[in-house]
Amino acid sequence: MAKNSGRASKAKAPNPTRRLRMGLGIMLALLLVVGGKLFMVQGLDIGGLAEAALNNRLTPTVLPAERGSILDSSGAVLASSVIRYNVVVDQTVNTKTESFRRFETINGKDELVKVTRDQGISELAAVLGMDRGTLRDALTGTQRYYIVAKDLKPDMEDKVSKLQIPGIVTEGTSKRVYPNGSVAGGIVGFLKDGSTGQAGLEQTQDEVLKGTPGKRLFEIGADGLRIPVGVDQLTPAVNGKDIKLTLNSDLQYFSQQAIQSQKDKLSAEWGVIVVQDAKTGNIVAMADTDSPDPNDPGKVAAEDRGVRAVTAAYEPGSVEKMITAAAAIQEGKSSPLDRFTIPPTYTVDGQTFSDAFEHGTEQRTLAGIVGYSMNTGTVMVGQRLSKEQRYDWLRKFGIGEAPDIGLPAESKGILTPADQWDGRQQYTVLFGQGVAQTTLQTVRAYQSIANDGVMLQPRLIDSYINPDGAEEKVPAKAPQQVVSKETAKQVRDILESAVTEGEIKEAAIDGYRVGAKTGTSESPCDDGKSGFCGYTASIIGMAPMDDPRFIVEVVLQRPKGSIFGITNGPVFRSVMSQTLRTFNVQPSTGEPARLPQYAK
Amino acid sequence: MSTAAVNSYPVAQGATARALPGLRPGLDQPRKARTPLSVVRSVPRKRRAPFVVLCFGLLAIALMAVLVLNISVSSAQYQLVQLRSEQTTLTKQNQDLTQQVQNFDAPQNLAAKATELGMVASVAKGQIDLSTLNVTGKAKPAVKGDAPGAVIAAPAVAGQLTVVPPATENEPLAQRKAADPENEPLAQRKAADTKPAETDKAPGAVKPAPAPKPAARAVELHGGSVPAPAQKTPGQ
Repeated sequence: MAKNSGRASKAKAPNPTRRLRMGLGIMLALLLVVGGKLFMVQGLDIGGLAEAALNNRLTPTVLPAERGSILDSSGAVLASSVIRYNVVVDQTVNTKTESFRRFETINGKDELVKVTRDQGISELAAVLGMDRGTLRDALTGTQRYYIVAKDLKPDMEDKVSKLQIPGIVTEGTSKRVYPNGSVAGGIVGFLKDGSTGQAGLEQTQDEVLKGTPGKRLFEIGADGLRIPVGVDQLTPAVNGKDIKLTLNSDLQYFSQQAIQSQKDKLSAEWGVIVVQDAKTGNIVAMADTDSPDPNDPGKVAAEDRGVRAVTAAYEPGSVEKMITAAAAIQEGKSSPLDRFTIPPTYTVDGQTFSDAFEHGTEQRTLAGIVGYSMNTGTVMVGQRLSKEQRYDWLRKFGIGEAPDIGLPAESKGILTPADQWDGRQQYTVLFGQGVAQTTLQTVRAYQSIANDGVMLQPRLIDSYINPDGAEEKVPAKAPQQVVSKETAKQVRDILESAVTEGEIKEAAIDGYRVGAKTGTSESPCDDGKSGFCGYTASIIGMAPMDDPRFIVEVVLQRPKGSIFGITNGPVFRSVMSQTLRTFNVQPSTGEPARLPQYAK
Repeated sequence: MSTAAVNSYPVAQGATARALPGLRPGLDQPRKARTPLSVVRSVPRKRRAPFVVLCFGLLAIALMAVLVLNISVSSAQYQLVQLRSEQTTLTKQNQDLTQQVQNFDAPQNLAAKATELGMVASVAKGQIDLSTLNVTGKAKPAVKGDAPGAVIAAPAVAGQLTVVPPATENEPLAQRKAADPENEPLAQRKAADTKPAETDKAPGAVKPAPAPKPAARAVELHGGSVPAPAQKTPGQ
């Protein structure tokens, strides 16, 4: 049987080995073709298909860094970033969709409901609070991207999304909000395009606040989900640092309201209040009139959008007499009870000086000269100093040197060198005319007297808070000893006597010993007009005098009406007492200084 | 070898003496000495079935494991997406509420609210030193209707309802309650509720100005919520 069958097959296929080999050969050839192709596709990637596919799946996203917040000293938020939504429409889709279906819960059951375009539009109009006709116009057209509404809050965005209107999508954006509005608005500043600072601290601290955006690269499938085993490169975003200020927003509000009321009452051009902690140099409040609301800075005039306490240099007037007195005492040229015989007008080098009030020839002490703010007497004291000494002392008290507190456009004032002073200016600088300085410079000069002669540079930025929560204190700049402790004490007594015995009695606060000095100066006209246009009225003081804690200065530019009837005393008093109360300062102890104003 | 083939051969051939093939190795004989045949019980074959089943079972288990793994990975991915969106929602809510608090916290809003409630800032305060029992300063009671001075506008945070009523009735937020009254945040509902009451109180003063006249608010209502009808004073 085996033999027979063998013979029979041999007749048809003579050589099985050859046949096998041929088959194998064909198979191998095919395998080679397939293998080669595989190698080409997988190994060499000719035509870049794999790369194209990968690129198709790879989705890069920018992870935006969150802009840091700006906080006040107690952590209250002055500026922060939040999520807002823009409602965007693809008009082509919306216009051609006459009706659409969506799920609605009716009687506890989800049902597919047909909604017409008109109905959709009126629903959306109700949610957005827009007019139906306007909305219809916005949704009709051929534009593929059209912003219907901006800056929607998340709950409204949710409502818009739930309407499921075809062509309508919402996109998240970051929006800067300023919960305190115009309170410290000028200091905080604002952004120009939602990301870059344009004014105030938002501008100067832009780099710190901004942070570094991160990046994420991952593969995404056709269903829109990330492919878990694919590429995933993550460069995390580094959020911006928060900035903590030295301001107290309650006091800031109080001061702003006080100066605004005063400005409105007297129809002044502008006003400024600065409150500073004399022990640390921290600025507690820096109020401007008509300060901008950073949420909508366009509402106020452009010149009101800055911080006048550091940008506006003006002739300070009699507050400068403190510097003259301090210099004369420190140089040993005078003392608080030094006697002066003061004529009704005083002429020196052909320059005649008179006082704001009429008087005969009087016997005055130095304290009395400052207490009654006499120009004549101040010139008499000041001429004991050489021109260079006068200049040097102004420099030492920080006149002509801008305080750097991190705000834009800080002015250093105008202090011409002594050799360029003309015949009158060399004397007028003694009582604050012919020299210009900002409010903060005046405050700094008084701070050094309050702090036993040690000048501390004012601080506005207290610390930077890293995204991880660590707080980096901004170190205080090196203090400078301007006058000796004894001189500072004598000058403080003069200032206190001006309140107890002199002309500034209305600055007195019950329970606290206060030292103060007023200043009234003629204000040169703006816009290149010659002469003077109105006055700058100011008052600066410190309390409690037994251990001065706070400096308050109130400045009012060009109030209307007679300058002699104008007083900032009540404003100073209310701000100072509010400050003392806010910081729980102990009522004063010890006897108030009462230096005689007249020499006997 | 089949039984049929065995049967077809003769029982014996040639010499009866047998030559054992093993004794002459390498000898190329055209005809081999036949091995006498006998029925041999074949060695029981190793059963392959369990092994194959095992293999298939393992394969199936492996496939199942891969499948389960895949499913769990991708369902975890879905869950991740869902949790992310939940997180985003909560973040949004948190932000929203924080902002409301901040808005109510803003000094000018607090002051406006206080004025609205009839509070007046006191001007003169005194201090009592408990250790010495010294009284310094003369405290004076605050006078009702005292002008509080300039009003600083409420923060114009978009979308935040101001504590002081909005400038116009056409404000987007004023119209919003029509859309979805159930889900309305509490504060807005409250504001919407109090609004008509305020307009009743001082119809002239409240509506137009964003900064309300505080004097108009301090109407003596004698515990009620509706003011007595105003009467013209003679000679006016």
